[in-house]
Amino acid sequence: MREGTVTASEIWKRFRIDDRPSYLQDRVASLNDRLRGRSNPSWRWALSEIDFHAEPGESWALVGANGAGKSTLLKILTRVMYPTAGRLDVVGRVGALIEVRAGIAPLLTGRENIYLTGSLMGLKRRDVARRFDEIVSFAELESAVDRQVKYYSSGMQMRLGFGVAAHLEPDLLFVDEVLAVGDASFQQRCLERIRYVLSQGTTLLFVSHDLAAVESTCANGVWLHNGQTQTRGPIREVLGAYRSAVEGEAESRPQIEGLLKLRNVSAGTPDGGLPKTGGPLDVAISIVSDQRYRAWVYFGISEGAATPIFLVNPGRETILEYGVTEVRCTIPSLPLARGRYYVWGGIFKDWTNGEELIGWQPLAPFDVFGPELDATPRAVVRLAPVHVESDWRFEHA
Amino acid sequence: MLEGASSQSSVKGRSSDTQSSRERDRQPVGPLPAEPRPEILFHRKTTLVGSLRELWAFRELVLTLAERDLRVRYKQAVLGVAWALIAPLAMMIAFTLIFTKFTKTNTHGAPYALFSYLGLLPWTFFSSAVLVGGLSLVNNVPLLNKLYCPREVFPLAAIGDALADLIIASVVLLLLFPLLGFTPKATSFYVPLLLVVMFIFTIAVTVAVSAIVVFMRDLRLVLPLVIQLGLFVTPVVYGADAVAKSTLGLVAYSIVNPLVPVIDGLRQTILYGQPPNWLSLAAGTASSLVMLLGGFWLFKRLETGIADIA
Repeated sequence: MREGTVTASEIWKRFRIDDRPSYLQDRVASLNDRLRGRSNPSWRWALSEIDFHAEPGESWALVGANGAGKSTLLKILTRVMYPTAGRLDVVGRVGALIEVRAGIAPLLTGRENIYLTGSLMGLKRRDVARRFDEIVSFAELESAVDRQVKYYSSGMQMRLGFGVAAHLEPDLLFVDEVLAVGDASFQQRCLERIRYVLSQGTTLLFVSHDLAAVESTCANGVWLHNGQTQTRGPIREVLGAYRSAVEGEAESRPQIEGLLKLRNVSAGTPDGGLPKTGGPLDVAISIVSDQRYRAWVYFGISEGAATPIFLVNPGRETILEYGVTEVRCTIPSLPLARGRYYVWGGIFKDWTNGEELIGWQPLAPFDVFGPELDATPRAVVRLAPVHVESDWRFEHA
Repeated sequence: MLEGASSQSSVKGRSSDTQSSRERDRQPVGPLPAEPRPEILFHRKTTLVGSLRELWAFRELVLTLAERDLRVRYKQAVLGVAWALIAPLAMMIAFTLIFTKFTKTNTHGAPYALFSYLGLLPWTFFSSAVLVGGLSLVNNVPLLNKLYCPREVFPLAAIGDALADLIIASVVLLLLFPLLGFTPKATSFYVPLLLVVMFIFTIAVTVAVSAIVVFMRDLRLVLPLVIQLGLFVTPVVYGADAVAKSTLGLVAYSIVNPLVPVIDGLRQTILYGQPPNWLSLAAGTASSLVMLLGGFWLFKRLETGIADIA
């Protein structure tokens, strides 16, 4: 098999359920079980029958909720962890970025760490030396490379880790959710570097909750749910299924009930596609009312928290009749940069300090595709990820 | 492609081949069984030769790790490498004061400072290897969780550090001999043979302890105590003949503690101009080889679970 091939078939992994502190006698008992090859009954399956195959140069994303088994699978593929059952073939040298600080020795300098990681990846010293300058300049650590890593910021540590993993020509590159530590411009350069490494024939396995980054980088995806493969295939299909499931979860939440009830909450585009920066966004809800109300409807777009980036409302009082009222709000041009956002909403009896008919709460998540936010100048703090078109003219008098 | 350890690495359970997994790719995901079929349960097959070959492929990593630990250890110490000298020297001076001024130890005419220093060198090597190497897996969890490597590299790197300290501390001998007006005997050429036994025993204990500590963290606290007590069951401050009067006793002592023929042999060859006691050395060699095989087996057996627990 060519270098960069991963074949995993019927991978199972179980963990001990730690429901009580383990005392010395438990430890001795489990040590004894392990030596005799016996298994312990209190287990939880973290992965069930996972099949995965990647050819050299393919890019795969692992998506799924927290605790779905993404990192466990990645650890098994790096052979850091052993599966309970199944067969695994990983051909080639692995570069892995699994935890930000994994493998970084805080007391050593950046330079010493680069060589250490290199030899962990199975490289000879002179091979690391050849790429040393490239790594340092990519990680922007020119002035800090001879400083101890414990004095680095977490962003610097991440840049060092990614720089080493991505520049030492691995046959397989595994990246877990770590790029989030870097600033936007570095994240962008990491993604560019990942695309370059892919073009060189490296196999990529990318774990991230940044679905927009995943979609722009990976051609294929696996959606893990509770340790099982939910969908596997082209990335758009996988992400589509994943997103609708997450939204389905939000819809099925029972608490969207006050004096009114909300049904069928959705956020998307009029043509059913994905929201884009500068494109339209449709938010639709069905309000079920058991009497006539005069109400003020508010929607807010937030990055997750209750404080919205901006608010929209019809600008007037709405009459909600008995029965179902369909509300559809279109924002023709969405001023949001790339990322995941949430529609929050609330319905009130009076204009400002009125009684709540529906309390202020998240209604539906949505992802926006488009340009990354630009980096801010020094000492400027940006409050909201708003993208605004602007025309500039500079005339020399 | 680069040269290096880009080898085909493969861990196999008894299972279907690649072809059938590709076929399964096209099938819709159906309801899953609650447990894996017993025939695909993962069994890692390790052979001694295979493990050693893999370890050889990672020899540079052992050196890099040993170098890292040395640098880290001496980086923030003002006296730096001198610390490797200070510990055994201080012990030697203390022992010399105690065992020549207050009680008498029979050294058969050799200066007690030399007598005890030759015992302290192997003992310091062994104890620091076990103390540092025993915790090496626990202390290197971030590295263990990053990339695959044969896990023995961590205890072995710690032994490498102890070896570096041993070499530095041995330099003192060059001063000690002329200072005490004593010349090493010609039989000193037996010394490398004795050191081999010391290495085998040290590797055996360090590797086994490092794996067990991962599963029983309590050992972290017990280990220093055990090592301290070990000093008294090893002929460091006294001669082996003080414990074992008969040859049979010496052989039994050597089987239980393979450092006995090492330290006794060093004194015999360097101080007294005699060959080592072959019977005792053979007993120590055999016993330490058995320990090495057992320790390595234990390590390989426990190795698969390290990432789950750490």
